[in-house]
Amino acid sequence: MAELGAMALWIGLALSVYAALGSVLGQLRHAPALVESARRAVYVLTLAMLVATLCLIGSFINRDFEVAYVAAHSNLAMPDIYTWVAFYAGNEGSLLYIAFVLSAMAAVALRWAPAATRPTLPYTTASLMVIQTFFIAVMGFMANPFDQLPFVPPDGEGINPLLTHFGMFFHPPALMAGLIGISLPLSFALGALVGGQRRDEWVDAGRIWGLLVWVLLAGGLLLGSWWAYTILGWGGFWFWDPVENAAFMPWLALTAFVHSVMVQKRRGMFRMWNIVLINVAFALALYGMFMNRGGPVPSVHSFGASTLGWVFLLFLAVGIIIPFAVFFWRYGLLKSAQNLDSMLSREAAFLVNNLLLLGIAFVTLWGTVYPLFVKLGGGAEITIARPFYDQVNGPLLLALLFLMGVGPLLPWRRANLPSLRRALLLPGSAAAAVVIILLLLVTRSPFALVGFGLSALVTAGILLEWWRGMRSRHRSTGENYPLALARLLAANRPRYGGYIVHLAVVMVALGVLGGSLFEQQRDVVLSPGESYAIADYRLTYLQTTQQTFADRTEYLSHLEVYRDGELLETMQARRSFYPSFNMASTLAAIRSTPLEDFYVVPSENRPDGAVGFRILVNPLVWWMWAAGPILIAGTAVSLWPERRRERAIAAVPLTRPAAA
Amino acid sequence: MNSAANRQSAFSSRRRHLLPAVLALALLFCSLAAAAAAVPTAAYAQTPTVPYDESAAQAIDRMLICPVCPAESIDQAQVPLARQMRRQVRAMLAAGAGQPEILAWFADRYGPSVLAAPPKSGRNLLAWTLPVAGVLAALLIGGLALRAMTGKNRNTAAASTAANALPPADLAPYLAVVDQILALPPGNRPDKDGSPDKDGGPGANHG
Repeated sequence: MAELGAMALWIGLALSVYAALGSVLGQLRHAPALVESARRAVYVLTLAMLVATLCLIGSFINRDFEVAYVAAHSNLAMPDIYTWVAFYAGNEGSLLYIAFVLSAMAAVALRWAPAATRPTLPYTTASLMVIQTFFIAVMGFMANPFDQLPFVPPDGEGINPLLTHFGMFFHPPALMAGLIGISLPLSFALGALVGGQRRDEWVDAGRIWGLLVWVLLAGGLLLGSWWAYTILGWGGFWFWDPVENAAFMPWLALTAFVHSVMVQKRRGMFRMWNIVLINVAFALALYGMFMNRGGPVPSVHSFGASTLGWVFLLFLAVGIIIPFAVFFWRYGLLKSAQNLDSMLSREAAFLVNNLLLLGIAFVTLWGTVYPLFVKLGGGAEITIARPFYDQVNGPLLLALLFLMGVGPLLPWRRANLPSLRRALLLPGSAAAAVVIILLLLVTRSPFALVGFGLSALVTAGILLEWWRGMRSRHRSTGENYPLALARLLAANRPRYGGYIVHLAVVMVALGVLGGSLFEQQRDVVLSPGESYAIADYRLTYLQTTQQTFADRTEYLSHLEVYRDGELLETMQARRSFYPSFNMASTLAAIRSTPLEDFYVVPSENRPDGAVGFRILVNPLVWWMWAAGPILIAGTAVSLWPERRRERAIAAVPLTRPAAA
Repeated sequence: MNSAANRQSAFSSRRRHLLPAVLALALLFCSLAAAAAAVPTAAYAQTPTVPYDESAAQAIDRMLICPVCPAESIDQAQVPLARQMRRQVRAMLAAGAGQPEILAWFADRYGPSVLAAPPKSGRNLLAWTLPVAGVLAALLIGGLALRAMTGKNRNTAAASTAANALPPADLAPYLAVVDQILALPPGNRPDKDGSPDKDGGPGANHG
C-alpha cells in the first residue's frame, strides 16, 4: 500500500507542475485546450492526493510498521479511532494532509469559480499549483510519508499521548486547512492582478474563500483552546505560545480582510488595501507553517526537531516577495471607484478596525521575533511571553471591542453626529449601567469594567437593531415575531451573519475576561477522604483507582463536589502515565455551568495514594466554548448564497427594508 | 409640523418600550459579571491560615518561565523544578519580599530569560515601546490617509450641500418603513427633501 501511496505522490507532483505551466502557457499562447487540460489536471491531482491519503490511513489501520511514519506515530495499543489523528501527528503526514486539502479546495474553487473570475482563472490555477508543487516536492524529496524502514519493527512508538483527545480530531486539521486555505483568496487576487482585471472581479470569490478559511481558523483556535483547557492540566486556555500566535496572526489579518473586502464589494473602494491584506495574511500563514516546522522559537506545539526549517523559510521569502511584486507591478490598476465621503462612516470604521487588527498582529509578531533580534545582536537571552501580550494586546483588543460596538451603527458613506448619538444612546446607557452596577457591587478592575461595559455595548447595539427590524416587519407585514426575525436575518445575510459572529465574539470575550481576571486557583495535596474548600465549593477526594494498559497506566481519581453541604456531582479526573514517552497526560474533571466552571486536575500521584490536585473556579469560561457553534452558524448565514434574495423580495413586496 | 410632533412622541414611546429590554440586558451582564467576581475571599479563611497572599504568589508564578520546559510558566509546568520554584516564591513572599525583589532574585539566579516579559527599563524598553509606537503610527497614518481621501471629495460636485442634507444612503429603506408605520405620506418627512427612493441620492452605490 505504501508503494501505491508513493506513486500517487509522484503522479501528483507531475500533475501539479503540469497544471501550473499548462495554464500559464495556454493563457499566453491563447490555447484554450491547454488551459482546460491544465484545469482538469487539478481534478486528477485531487484524486491522486486522495489516493495517497487513503494509502497512509490504510497503512495505519493495518499497522504497517515497515512504513517509517506509521512506526513512529502509532503502535498496536493505539485505538483505531486515533488513526485519523496519527495521520497528521507528524511532519510527513501533516504535509500530505495539507497537500490533499489544498488540492481539494483548489478543485472546488476552480470548478465553481464565479463567472467574473473566468478570464483570469488560469493565473489563479497557476498560483495555486505553484504552492501545491512546493508541498508535494517537499514531501517527495525531504519528508516522504511512505519511506520504508529496512526492517519491520514488532511494534511502533505510539501516538503522542497529548494528542489522544477528542479536540485533536478537529483542531489540527482545521488550523492546517485554514492556514493553507489562505492560498485561495490570495490566488484569486493574484490571478486578477496578473490578468490585468481593473475592477472587482475577484472580490466575490475572495470573500467567500476568505470567510471559509476564517471560520476554519477561528474554529481551530477555539478547539485548540478547549484542548489546552481540558488536557494540559494548568487550567488556562491561551498562553500566547509562539505557535498559538502563529495561527492567531493570520486569523487577525483575515479578520481585517473579510471586513475590508465588504467595502470593496459594496463601494469599490480599498482595492489596494485588500490586496495588501490578503498578501499579509498569506505571509503570516507561511510564517506560521515555518514556525511549526523547525522554527527558531521553542513551543509546546512544534512538530519536534525538524530539518525542514530552511525550506519553509525560503518558501516564506518567496511567498512574500512574489505577491508584493505583483502588487507593485499592477499598482496602477487599483484605483478606487469612489472617494470617501466622510471620516465618520462605516468605510472609515472598517479601516480603523483593519489597522487595529493588524496592530495586534504586529505586536504579536514583534513579541515573537524581538528575543531573536536581541540574541542575534549579542544580547542576553530574554523571553517574551504572556505578561507582555496581556499588557500590550489587551488594550488593543478592548479597542477592537469598542469599534465592534460603534462600527455597525455607522451607515455607509456618511453619518451625521446627531443620528449617531441617537443610535448610541441606548447601547451606551446599557454599557454605562453595567459599568456602574459592577463598580458598586463587584469589582474595580479597570480591565473588567471596560471589558464587560463594551461587551454590553456591542450586545445591546446588535439586539436593539434586531428588535427594531423585527418589530417594524411585524407591524408592516403582520408576520409573527420569530418569522419576522428570521426574514430580517435572511434579508441581508452578510450583515446579519456578521452580527451573529459579533455576538459569538462577545461570548468569547466574556469567557476570556471571566477566566483570566476572576479565576481562583489552588494547588493542594489530598489524601483519600480529605476535603478542600474553595469559593463556595467543597471538594472531597475519595480514592484513586489504577488500571494498566499496554502503553500507559491510568490513575482515575474519584471526587465529590459539594456546594452548601449539598452533593452536586461525583467526578473522575484522569492522569495517565506513558512510560515509553516518560510523559503524563491529564484529563481534567470539569463541572461546567454558564456561571462558572469547577475544574479539578490531578498533577501528581504519590505512592501513598495522596494526589496533588489543581483546583480552579473559572467564571464564565463556558461562554467561550458555547461561542463556537454560534460563530460557525453566523459565518454560514453570511456565506449563504444571496441568489434567493430576489425571490424573497418578490414574496414580500414593498415593505421590506431591502438592503442596508 | 403636526406630523413631526407625532413622530417625536412615537420616538419617545418607542424608547420607553426599549427601556425594560436595556435594563434586562444590563442585569444579565451584571449578574454574569457578578458571578465572575463574587468569589468570596472569605472562603480562603476556612483553609489553614497562610502567611502569604496566594493570588500574589500565582501572579508571580505567571511571570516566571520554567527553565527546563520551554515556553511554559512555572504556574503551568508540572515538572519538579517548577514545583520547587513555586515553593521558593511562596517562601520568599512569606518572608516579606515583594514581587520586584522576587523576580530580581530569580533573574539573578536563572538569567534574564526566566522572566516571562523583560523589565520595562534599559534596552528592553524598546520591546515595549516600539509596538505601541507602531500601532499609534499606523492609526495616525490611517487617519491622515482617510482625511486625504475625503479631502479629494470636498472639491467634487458630488459632495454638495444637497448630498449633506440627505439621510445616509442605506437608511432610506428603513426610513421608508418608518414612514409607513407612522402613516406618513412618503416624502413628507421634515428632514428629507427628496422622494423616498430606494437609492440614496447621487453617487450612491449600495447593494
